[in-house]
Amino acid sequence: MKDDLETELRQALRPVAPSEGFEERLLARVTAERSSPPKPSRLKWRRSPATRWLSAGLAASILAAVGIQHHLHAQREREIGLEARRQVIEALRVTEEKLELAYRVVKDQSSSVSDEKPGV
Amino acid sequence: MIRRFMPVIVCVLLAPSLTFAAPNPRLLLPEFGALADKASESVTITLDPSMLAMAGRFLDSNDPQDAATQEVIKGLQGIYVRSYTFDQDYFYKQSDIDAVRKQLSAPGWNRLMETRSRKTHANVEIYIMTEGNKAIGLALIASEPREFTIVNIIGSIDLQKLHKLEGQFGVPKLDLDATKAPALNKQK
Repeated sequence: MKDDLETELRQALRPVAPSEGFEERLLARVTAERSSPPKPSRLKWRRSPATRWLSAGLAASILAAVGIQHHLHAQREREIGLEARRQVIEALRVTEEKLELAYRVVKDQSSSVSDEKPGV
Repeated sequence: MIRRFMPVIVCVLLAPSLTFAAPNPRLLLPEFGALADKASESVTITLDPSMLAMAGRFLDSNDPQDAATQEVIKGLQGIYVRSYTFDQDYFYKQSDIDAVRKQLSAPGWNRLMETRSRKTHANVEIYIMTEGNKAIGLALIASEPREFTIVNIIGSIDLQKLHKLEGQFGVPKLDLDATKAPALNKQK
C-alpha cells in the first residue's frame, strides 16, 4: 500500500520536458503584454489632477478647521481663566475690606473704652 | 422575598451615612436679584472648584500678589461673594440677611467674632466651620447702612495666609496681631 502511493507520487511528479517552441511562445507573450496599453483601473479617478487637488483641499480644510477650533478653544479657556483670576482677586479684596472694617470697629471700641478709663 | 425587604436594607445601609453626614460649609445664598437691581454697585462672585483651579493657572507665581493669592486659594473649594452698595440708607431688608444668618446656626458653624459699631452702625460677623483642628469653611456677614456683604469661603482656610494678603489689593494694611486685636479670637 505504501509502495503504491510512492509509485503514484513519483509518476505524478516526474520531470516533464517542455513541448517544442515553448520558450518562443512564452517570450512572445511577455513582449506582447508589455507593449499593450494598460488595462483601465477602477481607481483611475484617484489619479486625475482635479481629484488630487480636491483631496488636498479637503485635507487642508479639515486641518484648518481643527486648528481654528483648537485656537478658539484655547482663547475661550484663556478668557475664562483671566475672568476667574479677576474674580478671585476681587473676592479676596472684598473679604479683606470687610475684615478691615471689623478691625476698625474693634479698634474704635477699644479706644473708646480706654478713653473712658484713662488710668487703665 | 429580597424585593420585599429591599427598602429596609437600603435604609439600614444609608442610616450611618445620614447620621454622620459631614457638616456642609457651603451656604445657600439667595439670588438677591431685586436688590441687585436697586443697588448702585453689586458684586456677585461664584467660584466653584473648577473655576478656582482655572484661576490658579492664570496666576503668575513670579508676581508677589499673584503668588500670595495662589497660596490662599490652594486649599479652597469655593468662594462665593454677594455684595451690594446702595444710594440710600437701609435700602435692603434685614430679612435678606437673616435668611443667610439662619443657616449659620447649623451644627458645625462657630461665630468667631461679632462687631457692632454704634458710631457707623457697621456690623460684622465672622463664622468659621472646623473639622478637627482645621477650618473647612468661613462665612462673613458685613452690614452697613448703605452696604451689605456676604462672603462664603469653602475649604481649608489659613487665616494667616489671608492675613499675608493684607495691603496687597489696595486695602490698608491691618494690624491683626493677636496681642493688639484680641477680639478676633473671640468665640461664640
